[in-house]
Amino acid sequence: MAVQIVMDHSGDSQHFFDNSNAEALVEAERLFLQFTSTGYTAAVRKGPGEVIRITAFDPTAEETLFLPRLVGG
Amino acid sequence: MKKRIVRIGPWTVRSLAVGRLYQAAKEEKTVQGRALRLLRSWLSPQQRVEFDRKGYFDVVGCDTGKRYRIRLGTSGNVNEIDEYGRLGKGWCFVPVGGLVLGDVMLAQKIALESDEARVLSIANSFPGPIRWRRPGTRPPEGRIPLGRAG
Repeated sequence: MAVQIVMDHSGDSQHFFDNSNAEALVEAERLFLQFTSTGYTAAVRKGPGEVIRITAFDPTAEETLFLPRLVGG
Repeated sequence: MKKRIVRIGPWTVRSLAVGRLYQAAKEEKTVQGRALRLLRSWLSPQQRVEFDRKGYFDVVGCDTGKRYRIRLGTSGNVNEIDEYGRLGKGWCFVPVGGLVLGDVMLAQKIALESDEARVLSIANSFPGPIRWRRPGTRPPEGRIPLGRAG
């Protein structure tokens, strides 16, 4: 099972999906596009503590984290 | 056989342990607890140890290779670290949406490690802490920089 984690005011929301299922992947890609088009940054973990930013949906990613837009404080 | 009950004040060790367990479960269910758990799961083993022991962790910027310290907090909690391990210029940037502490720190870590130049272009900077040196003491610049000792 893969998971898409979205940071929000409740801590985070998690969307689990089976990345070997074509329909689930379509839905996951739709969510990816929905969040990234509204300013969220997507990041995936490539190793322990190693994080990279992605701009296109990665169907092989086990865990994708969506961070809201950053602003100067 | 008589069972020995260990007491600390009016409480038995067992009741204290059960109390701590309930407290931990309660904290785990709160928004803060969830966010801190998420943060810890995305830290490297070294960063996790540092965070648990000291309440902060260091990250390396992906574009400049500079080190930054992310301290507990939701604003003004990021500082550059120089080669002597001293806090330098501070940076203030936060995710929109009023996120809790753990999420803010995780967003800051990911931003610096994966998109440093862009995040610093939107962040506000502030001067680092003022350092006072006692007369007669050696300036820190004369010390051996971090990572070069031995």
